[in-house]
Amino acid sequence: MADMTVFVARTVRTMEPSLPVAEAVAVRDGRIVEVGTLDTMRPWLESHSHEIDDTFKDHCIMPGFIDPHLHPSMAAILLPMHFTTAVGWDLPWEDIGPVHDDEQFLARMESLDAALAPGEPLFTFGHHPIWHGPIDRSALNQISTARPIVAWHRGYHSITVNDACLRWMDLDTAAAGRHPQVDLDAGKFFETGLSVALRHLRGYLLETERFRAGLDRMRQVIHNGGHTTIGDAALGFYGFEQEWDHLQAVMEQPDTPFRIQLMPFAMGPEGDERTDDEFVERVLSYPSRNTHRLRFSDHAKMFADGGFFAELLMLKPPGHLDGRHGEWMTPPERFEAVARALWNAQRRIHVHCSGDLGVELALSTLEKLQWERPRFDHRFTFEHFGISSAQQVDRMAAVGAVASVNAYYVYELAEAFAARAVGYERASQISRLGSLERAGVRFAVHSDFPMAPAKPLNNAWVAANRLTESGAVMGATERASLDAAIKAITTNAAYVLGLEDEIGSLRWGKRADFTVLEADPYAVSAESLRDIPIWGTVFEGHKFPISSD
Amino acid sequence: MGASAPKDLVPVTVIAGYLGAGKTTLINELLSHDHGRRLAVLVNDFGAVNIDAALIAGHDGQTISLKNGCVCCSIADELGDALDRVLALDPAADQIVIEASGVADPANVAAYGQGWPGCRLDAVVVLADAETVQARSRDQFVGELVVRQLRRADIVMATKCDLVTEAGLAAVMDWLTETAAGAPILTRRAGQLEPELLLETAQPTARPGRQRSHAGNGPGEPAFDSAVVEVDGTLDRDRVEAALQDWPDSVLRVKGILRFNGAAGGLHIVQRVGRRWSIEPAPNGFTPDHTGKLVVIGLPGTLYHRDLTASLNRQAQ
Repeated sequence: MADMTVFVARTVRTMEPSLPVAEAVAVRDGRIVEVGTLDTMRPWLESHSHEIDDTFKDHCIMPGFIDPHLHPSMAAILLPMHFTTAVGWDLPWEDIGPVHDDEQFLARMESLDAALAPGEPLFTFGHHPIWHGPIDRSALNQISTARPIVAWHRGYHSITVNDACLRWMDLDTAAAGRHPQVDLDAGKFFETGLSVALRHLRGYLLETERFRAGLDRMRQVIHNGGHTTIGDAALGFYGFEQEWDHLQAVMEQPDTPFRIQLMPFAMGPEGDERTDDEFVERVLSYPSRNTHRLRFSDHAKMFADGGFFAELLMLKPPGHLDGRHGEWMTPPERFEAVARALWNAQRRIHVHCSGDLGVELALSTLEKLQWERPRFDHRFTFEHFGISSAQQVDRMAAVGAVASVNAYYVYELAEAFAARAVGYERASQISRLGSLERAGVRFAVHSDFPMAPAKPLNNAWVAANRLTESGAVMGATERASLDAAIKAITTNAAYVLGLEDEIGSLRWGKRADFTVLEADPYAVSAESLRDIPIWGTVFEGHKFPISSD
Repeated sequence: MGASAPKDLVPVTVIAGYLGAGKTTLINELLSHDHGRRLAVLVNDFGAVNIDAALIAGHDGQTISLKNGCVCCSIADELGDALDRVLALDPAADQIVIEASGVADPANVAAYGQGWPGCRLDAVVVLADAETVQARSRDQFVGELVVRQLRRADIVMATKCDLVTEAGLAAVMDWLTETAAGAPILTRRAGQLEPELLLETAQPTARPGRQRSHAGNGPGEPAFDSAVVEVDGTLDRDRVEAALQDWPDSVLRVKGILRFNGAAGGLHIVQRVGRRWSIEPAPNGFTPDHTGKLVVIGLPGTLYHRDLTASLNRQAQ
């Protein structure tokens, strides 16, 4: 067997400024030996045995795509469910068309019911009254009186169930009847009322076989998106050790074509820990358990305000259109204390922040920490970055922050947020990218899957076009350039994960991770970025085509 | 699991308020006080847990550290889990005290007391640091939250009152009265504790018709007054509801068993804690020691026995 494999392609987009375009990549033991042309790499070819692999002679080789922020554990719960969302989801096992109105919703529910084995509970995800109208217990009883049905709301806030499900849950109906956020007549459990239902449903949703089947679907989703590295942006939602066991069992397999950089949920002392020192010690201990594909490093995940899809973002004045309030995930004083403990332990801090007040908390904390104990290259990362101001971007630049942005908010939510949540001006500037680019703040784009589809090309497409589902452009000057949009899923995504010396571009010594495209993204228009077909990936030198079945 | 009789439900008291309001100190004192109630304490806050483990052991209580969650990770419902563990304690707790997180909306925590199987809500007590609450209410990050927490209170307790001047205390009491419109405002000084106001303790005994002052364990004036309002015969439910609604904000606690007339008549358990009141049918087969009596606890010098009795009895027969 030859020492080296040389992949030749119509175009190799290296994303390296010193050699942006090449024709061939020589690979040995999963790492790149040299990038260039068959001619320029002759010294290597003459001194080592090699074989030429021309599978990609009509393709474009890109650095393997990176999404630095997804949630495999949340996906493991959601992916075994059946999607009924107003926006279609192209999932590896099913291309689900959009479910636009109440008629389509009920028809979809009926066909799902007909396809399931008798007695098997039907969990759907994606009901939204704006599109599907209200549903209640009696509407779901029309679908089935025997099968438990749970219709999960697109915003995750609530579920609606049928009679069979109420029986299945063996609910204390007297207690549920007293709960201010349970409407038993309608079969609806919302906000804190959701916990009353989840008390009975959680065991089913977290059961090992189901959870691992969900994770296995996540594995397919990640591969089909063309990723070779992802970030799990908060291990430990449902139970750290349990999630870690499941991840190892499903993801650490020879045929898994990607690695996962794990960020621990770092909110301060937990369990028996009494001090921030004890908490930091735990965070520092995680890398000792690394496997080949599952790795902790020096990153830690914190949370400022509530979620964007959940509409719990904290806003500066004038706040929400309807005067509602968001939620802090951490008391601001504790946020600062925990951030300081992590900062002083040289951790790279990632902060979930959705609204401009959430951004302000993270930013003012970072400014304070920089004053107290200056650090270069700290990679303090603003995650999601839903609503912000251009002035905040300038301050981020001044203190060396980076960003990992959910650009997809623009596509699915900008118009709805304009109409219902924050008005047009701020909604049109959701997920600002143009300002970041102009200020020289490095940024990645992410999916936050299962919040948005795990498709890096789609995220880059939204970033470069800012088109909504209806086809409107929102905040044209906040578009990323095509180059910045592609860097946001390659080099800068690697930078956000602190893996820029290992992945993100193609040059000597880096991992031989490629995403293989049918067209060169720099040679198509920005509008057609998301339409470029993906052949598959190469992970550490091994080819993993995307199967078309 | 079927419906449980109301008397089986464990009362839940939510102690809320922003960081530094004195929630942990208060809970530690409640745990060490000899009030005769077996408390289970759930601590829902961030960072170091300062509840004295020895105190908890002495009360067979349980402290569970909880982190704030968001909707998308609500599947990990630590508060519900903790309640289930506490409700399974044997012997059972007489009362559950939940220390809400400093950033929690008390209404969200109260919802567990209202609708979690095995629980009923006793009261939401929101603490306010007399020294800092007004400044906090203007903080860009938490100002709105601090005010919202006060507005959700059944009872507000101004803490650390011995650290402010008399004039300062008067000003903050005015501000609290305005901000937490409708909730009685208690004051607390170091070492001063009246579990009768915060917990459903055995009600203070008092001879009917007499108003009686109860000294606190701190210095100074009486901590609260109690009175027993007696009624004869059956009552008009509408009248009782109106009374519970209309009695002044200074009425802190009301509890008793009354018999109503009319179609939905029979024995009912009547309660008010601060501005929250409820009327629940007594469980089947319930044979109380006495009916027709309401024990009323109020701020010192505010219980006018004659008015209270009159407002109930006008239509009693």
